[in-house]
Amino acid sequence: MLTIETGPDGVIVVAGRLDAAQAQAAQTFLDGVAGTATLDCAKLEYISSAGLGVLLKTQKRLLGSGGKLRLAGLSPHLRDIFVYSGFDQLFEIDPAA
Amino acid sequence: MIRARVVHAVLQCAPMDGPAPPRALAAADLAALLSVTRALAAPFDLRAMLGEVVSAAKQVLHADRGSVWLHDAATDELVLEVATGIAPVRVPSGRGLVGACAHQRAIINVPDCYADARFDSRVDRESGYRTRCMLTLPLVDHRDELVGVMQVLNKADGVFDDYDETLASALAAQCAVALQRARMTDAIIEGEKMRQALEMARVVQMSTLPTVMPSVPGYDIHGTFIPAELTGGDAFDLAFVGERLLVVLADATGHGIAPALSVTQMQAMLRMAFRLGADLDTVFRQVNNRLSETLAADRFITAFVGVLDPTTHRLAFHSGGQGPILVYRAATGSWERHRPTSFPMGAMAVDTVRPAMTLALEPGDIVLLASDGIPEYENGDGEQFGDERVCATVASHGGEPAAAIIDALLAAVRSFAGSAPQDDDMTAVVVRREGTSAATAGDEGRIIRRTFERTFDALAQMVDFTAESFDRLAIDPRHRPTADLVIEELFTNMVKYGTGSAMPVELGFEPSLDGVRIVLVDRDVDPFDIRRSREVDIHAPIDERVPGGLGLHLIRRMASSIDYDYDPERRESRIAVLLAGKQ
Repeated sequence: MLTIETGPDGVIVVAGRLDAAQAQAAQTFLDGVAGTATLDCAKLEYISSAGLGVLLKTQKRLLGSGGKLRLAGLSPHLRDIFVYSGFDQLFEIDPAA
Repeated sequence: MIRARVVHAVLQCAPMDGPAPPRALAAADLAALLSVTRALAAPFDLRAMLGEVVSAAKQVLHADRGSVWLHDAATDELVLEVATGIAPVRVPSGRGLVGACAHQRAIINVPDCYADARFDSRVDRESGYRTRCMLTLPLVDHRDELVGVMQVLNKADGVFDDYDETLASALAAQCAVALQRARMTDAIIEGEKMRQALEMARVVQMSTLPTVMPSVPGYDIHGTFIPAELTGGDAFDLAFVGERLLVVLADATGHGIAPALSVTQMQAMLRMAFRLGADLDTVFRQVNNRLSETLAADRFITAFVGVLDPTTHRLAFHSGGQGPILVYRAATGSWERHRPTSFPMGAMAVDTVRPAMTLALEPGDIVLLASDGIPEYENGDGEQFGDERVCATVASHGGEPAAAIIDALLAAVRSFAGSAPQDDDMTAVVVRREGTSAATAGDEGRIIRRTFERTFDALAQMVDFTAESFDRLAIDPRHRPTADLVIEELFTNMVKYGTGSAMPVELGFEPSLDGVRIVLVDRDVDPFDIRRSREVDIHAPIDERVPGGLGLHLIRRMASSIDYDYDPERRESRIAVLLAGKQ
């Protein structure tokens, strides 16, 4: 299961599993995001390449219009995945949630 | 309506612009015709209707005798179903006066029969009657189909003339319609009788099935029977014989009443023989021999006859042509297939049988018996559900109650079949020994395997199975997210690129010293060595980055080792990914 929604402080909170089955739902939500946004990943348990693809597409779009997606609250496992995939170089990653 | 048609027929037979009829229709004759017509409208059965038609013809045409030959379209013969004082007989269309009339569909008026070469005098010789003159008329119904031929013999005061032909034509048209109606009514009644007989046979067949599943300590046992709309001859039985359980699944050949009844008979024989204390070998041989005496030569019953001893966990069985017998071994997550032990029951009598086979059941093991209506269920494309799908479905529900396993199997069959109709009975029996193979935890080389349908929807089941397997094998849960990633990436790749394969994908876990080996087996596919897949440049600028290849790249980075084997003969890819150490 995956939930993704914008919190009261404007931070996008993603929770659950961002896998192949949920990628489309996440993409649909993120397609509606504009400018610079922060994605709180503290409750994101899992991400696969399908989820990374969603983040990549969103980042390309936002960078093209002068905005960007920032990531926060990555678990050690997620941080490994970002490093191994080189995504740590494509996103600004906040050290704390 | 009928009145109008008679008059119309009479007028047609006496057209105003053709040659004038020899004389006008006498009022008495018209009245006779009309009363006959009214009589014919009554709901007679065919035999009564034939008598009615003959007596009407005799009355209207003042004939001494009459007969109606019905046309048998299947053989193109004319069949004399009823006649006054004449025995039934069949004549090919085209032969004799009757055959010629049917063939030409025209009235034949013979004033002197013994002067006509087409006249067959044998009937006269046999009956002692002397036919003088004869009028033979085709009976053609309103759809222009030949219903039969009517003959009237020996006019009371001379020979049949043109006027009689006109009268007879009018009568014949009515007789044809009435006869056809009676024939169709009879066919409907016959069909209804058959349907009721089938229904009755079904009731008998269903009544012998266990209504309550037996409660066997340490076992979960269930049987389900889904009849086809018409009939099949499936049955199952689960009944205590002392402390042991009789397990039967049978399928009698053919459709109709006979298989439903013969399988019921066999079931009764089995129960009785076991309750009299006979051993399995003797019961199987004796019941086989009794069936071979009573069943028609082209009939037989495929049957699994087993006896489960719940204290020794041994299932001894004979299987006459019923197979494969599928046994799921929980400890290895693998399937055994056992062939039938002999030919179908009732096919021939035998003096001896081979000793019964015995299966030793361990905790979590499942014995699955399924009648061929399940694996042979065809979808709209004519493809069968098949044993592989049976195994895959049952394996993926292995930990569930026996009833749920069967429900899942039948649901999978229905989902596979779509709107294709069920042509055969479907029967399944599951015998599951309770417990899990975790009883053997700590053993080296333990593997848990399960197969999954080649669809993205299976991913969620794989995640559940991974969690369950980690628990059962006591694998360090810190490997879980990486295991999920490895499985998702490899499986989605298999679904995306192995589109030519209909085989399910097997997923297995084997605990290692400080981690887990994940094994995925992909069948009926081309080789694809993930160790040699395209490298991803993770330092490329974002504009050049694409998601493709990222999944396999991550597996290569995160795995301790990756093994890949391809068996070209079986077209089977086997990928083993070891996750070990600190994740």
